[in-house]
Amino acid sequence: MHTRSSHLVLGVTCLLIVAAAARTAQQAPVPNAALTGGVRFVPHPDNVPAGFPLRDLPLTLVNPYEGNASALKVGSQLYVSFNCIDCHGADGSGALGPSLADGRWHFGGSPAEVFESIYQGRPDGMPTWGGRISNDQIWMLVTYVRSLSAGKDVATENFTGRTVERTGH
Amino acid sequence: MRRRLTLFCAVAASVACARGDQTTSRTDTAGSAKATGAPASVAGTRIGAPRTTAAGEWQMPAGDYANSRFSDLSQITPANAANLRAAWTFSTGVLRGHEGQPLVVNNTMFLVTPYPNVSYALDLTQAGQPLKWKFRPENAQAAIGQACCDVVNRGAAYTDGKILYNLLDGHTVAVDAATGRQLWHMRMADLNRGETITMAPIVVKGKVLVGSSGGEMGVRGWLAAIDVATGKEVWRAYNTGSDRDVKVGPRFKAFYAQDNGKDLALTSWPGETWKQGGAAVWGWLSYDPELNLVYYGTSNPGPWNERVRKGDNKWSCAIMARDADTGELRWAFQVTPHDMWDYDTVNENILVDLPFGGTTRKTLVHFDRNGFGYTIDRATGEVLVAQPFVQMNWSTGIDLKTGRPNVVPEKMTTEGKNTKDICPSLEGGKNQQPAAFSPRTGLFYVPTINLCMDMEVRPVTYIPGTPYIGANAPEKKGPGGHGGEFIAWDATTGKKVWGIEEPFPVWGGALATAGGVVFYGTLDGWFKAVDATTGKELWKFKVGSGVVGNPISYLGPDGKQYIAVYSGIGGDMGLLIAGDVAANLPYDVRERGSTLPDLPRWTSWGGMLFVFSL
Repeated sequence: MHTRSSHLVLGVTCLLIVAAAARTAQQAPVPNAALTGGVRFVPHPDNVPAGFPLRDLPLTLVNPYEGNASALKVGSQLYVSFNCIDCHGADGSGALGPSLADGRWHFGGSPAEVFESIYQGRPDGMPTWGGRISNDQIWMLVTYVRSLSAGKDVATENFTGRTVERTGH
Repeated sequence: MRRRLTLFCAVAASVACARGDQTTSRTDTAGSAKATGAPASVAGTRIGAPRTTAAGEWQMPAGDYANSRFSDLSQITPANAANLRAAWTFSTGVLRGHEGQPLVVNNTMFLVTPYPNVSYALDLTQAGQPLKWKFRPENAQAAIGQACCDVVNRGAAYTDGKILYNLLDGHTVAVDAATGRQLWHMRMADLNRGETITMAPIVVKGKVLVGSSGGEMGVRGWLAAIDVATGKEVWRAYNTGSDRDVKVGPRFKAFYAQDNGKDLALTSWPGETWKQGGAAVWGWLSYDPELNLVYYGTSNPGPWNERVRKGDNKWSCAIMARDADTGELRWAFQVTPHDMWDYDTVNENILVDLPFGGTTRKTLVHFDRNGFGYTIDRATGEVLVAQPFVQMNWSTGIDLKTGRPNVVPEKMTTEGKNTKDICPSLEGGKNQQPAAFSPRTGLFYVPTINLCMDMEVRPVTYIPGTPYIGANAPEKKGPGGHGGEFIAWDATTGKKVWGIEEPFPVWGGALATAGGVVFYGTLDGWFKAVDATTGKELWKFKVGSGVVGNPISYLGPDGKQYIAVYSGIGGDMGLLIAGDVAANLPYDVRERGSTLPDLPRWTSWGGMLFVFSL
């Protein structure tokens, strides 16, 4: 529903139609946002066409716990108690789910994008957590998961020596 | 690496190293075997349910109901095997673990890929083996994240012009073998509760038998029968719960006292823990037409954390014998009561008649994850022989009066404790990769694993659709430093006859042939032919990706014997242990685990059928 192209259409519509009609059109997303406690879809920076009026995109989600050490600690406990650990690994380096510790993200690694991945789930089997746990808990998980993303990437593996030499970017 | 292993061997329980020295032949390099005993007598041995279909075909996952994986074809012999060469290949278009095997029926080869479980029919009568058809089933993508150990599929069954197989998302499909048209598509498992299906079904008397995976997801295991003609479920028997649900009635009689009693699959669990107790059915099925019994093994109990499920936890880690018509449980034997090491019992049960004390016994031979090779009377469930086929230290042996293992207390796992150096690891002394039996030698050919683990157990909550495990268990190579061994086993004595040490766990299945040649593939991508009697390596070929599939043999329209096997690393080995061998996904670059750090030097993801002939 709330895709980038629909916003584009919405933007153009706003320019062409009288204010009253535009107000009606803009009301459509409101119930959805209310339902999700203010959650909005966010643009992926790599997928915003040149010249696109970014100011018309919805608000970017902000992690209330960015840099908060105690939230990170709670997030690390939630990572175990909600069974994230068994899919994504004890150190986040992946098991039946992908690695969260390689700094590479299928659905984007910004706080808002990681929030979305947890909140709505992802098609390969990442469960939907929105509504099952609080948004606050999701933000603490975001804080923890993003803290894993340094240092586990392996760009090069060199097998010619006595031991395997692994180097990141 | 070497220093760590030496250290490990010194630290590991002396039982393990001592037993290893007694029963394991030591070779310096993989590929040469050292005999430690004379080949078994073959008098009185025969396949318990020999195939009734043409010798040149491969109509069932294991070739026959007995799960012998024996081919009557004999053109390839120890004398000429060195002349084997690749005849043709076929890319399945899918990168992931290619467990299982193709079927060959009526000069057509049928293949099923890992998720998305595409199937192909190849015309063997024409040069280039063109497609007759390709079938792409509806198959929910969410299943990928519910499958514990890669998105594998272990193959299809064939009956009466139909190809039957399971989809990862919990459906069973029937496809017209001539046209590829879907005949029916039946929902059997509940993906939202963590049930997926990876196992190969078999067809018995017009019914296709199916079970689910999910022992790590808190499922409740079952076996079900579907009418092949209509796609309707005929019966479903659970492995945990009340006698009614488990189909235990007056005809049930287990051999051992502790396996008899009312509602055991309910009362051997605290509270309602049986509802998420695992005991899934993701391995191989066998069938004895004379006894009309279907045999299968059940998975580990869930969660791995044993604290929440005190008791025997029946019927997890058990061998089950059910009436093929009604599903009634006729006997059961719990191999590892109250498992705390993830020692599933899903490995194949090979039905073979063997000589014991001057008579021939109808037996079932089973190489369990727990490291013991069992020879069991398949009419009664009596354990005749139970001996370790790999190095182990969690148990000192099986008490033949009760059938139960004597457990070493220091190797028990429990919440809050990190139990060190348990052998075998949770992968088992052997996993799903099936063994083969040759009536020509009387020997079983068994792909084995030599890994140990530490297991640290922690609290866990059941959340539907997420893993229900509660443990971390890092693995490492076991004493000796080899990752696995391909062995020949005498099931009447419980002794290894010869062994070929391999650098990595042997995760591909075995094929025995009447020509006296045995075939298997390795994780590092070698496909090998060895002498069935001596274990001498006769030939090997480096295929595109590590082998976790099972070779088959068939007679081509040209009258030549062919050997076919999937190459395509994956399954638990490729995905979990080999770590970033899985990095075909650019957003999923993994720091590889320390278990098999050298494996990616030798192989990478693939998905290819290789076919060999003289």
